Amino acid sequence: MTLEFMRNKVVEVEPIDDRGLSVHWRLKDSMLEAGILIKVRVPDLEIVEAEARVDRSPHEQCASAPELVKRIVGVRVSQGLRKIVRGLIGGASGCSELTEGVLECCTAVILHYTVPQIRIGERLTEEQLLEARRALLESNPRMAGSCIAFAPDSPLMQEPGL
Amino acid sequence: MITFSRSMLVGGEFLDETTVRFHGILEDHIYAMEIQMDVRIPDGVIAAIEGSMKRYTNPVCPRAVDVLQDAVGVSLREEGWASRIYREIGRKGCQHFAEILIECGRCMDLARMAHDLTPTIAGDPAASTTELANAWLQEHPEVQGSCMAQPTRGSGGAN
Repeated sequence: MTLEFMRNKVVEVEPIDDRGLSVHWRLKDSMLEAGILIKVRVPDLEIVEAEARVDRSPHEQCASAPELVKRIVGVRVSQGLRKIVRGLIGGASGCSELTEGVLECCTAVILHYTVPQIRIGERLTEEQLLEARRALLESNPRMAGSCIAFAPDSPLMQEPGL
Repeated sequence: MITFSRSMLVGGEFLDETTVRFHGILEDHIYAMEIQMDVRIPDGVIAAIEGSMKRYTNPVCPRAVDVLQDAVGVSLREEGWASRIYREIGRKGCQHFAEILIECGRCMDLARMAHDLTPTIAGDPAASTTELANAWLQEHPEVQGSCMAQPTRGSGGAN
């Protein structure tokens, strides 16, 4: 059957220089069209600029939503981010789409740093991978139990030292 | 140069007046996966779900496909449904499956609005989408109160 609703979201990370990242987010669906641009300072990952636009919406109130996004300037992409962003721009008097957009931008920043690590991992031997996994869990203990791959009964966690 | 990019695509297919089927696809530099989820419109309950992983980072990841079944029975109307999905599908399965599922769930009311307004707009393309959307919100109290654009009826916001 044909679709009656379609949503397309894209988020892209681009280094500005060695001290910053630019993150573009766009949403286009049957009812809405919006965009966010944030700039993140490296290495502390503080959001130093944030702007948004709502180009199409069935609700007049959405025209004032972009102003909310400026509140995230000064927030760092780190632990507790979700609660902070939802508190600043979400909820019944906020904008759920731009809130999720900001969070998706921040997730993209983290994954921007993850890509090169995974590429390195693709060239390691099994033994080197095991060592890399141990180091990862030591430096990021929160990874343990974060998904099925790092669950206590996962084959990846049965290796000595993990 | 862009060093990381993620695309998320959600499609809403109305199987009948009581069921909407969501097709959700995620593709980025690291991961590629998709789900198909049937939701009962009257109560927002996830009635069926299936998924597949196309690109992932280690051989254990595909086990998360079976964990998707724990979403069956969750209602998109229950308070904290997204947090529940992050916990039960994300932490016990795959965070990215959870992200797709939540995105599909978040499209539920917009998809319903699009479905309900399409016949009117098709017959009269000059009709005001804003007026039609406000009228739709008045008729759907279950959607009110979720954000600034959908205030609770009687609060003086959208009316």
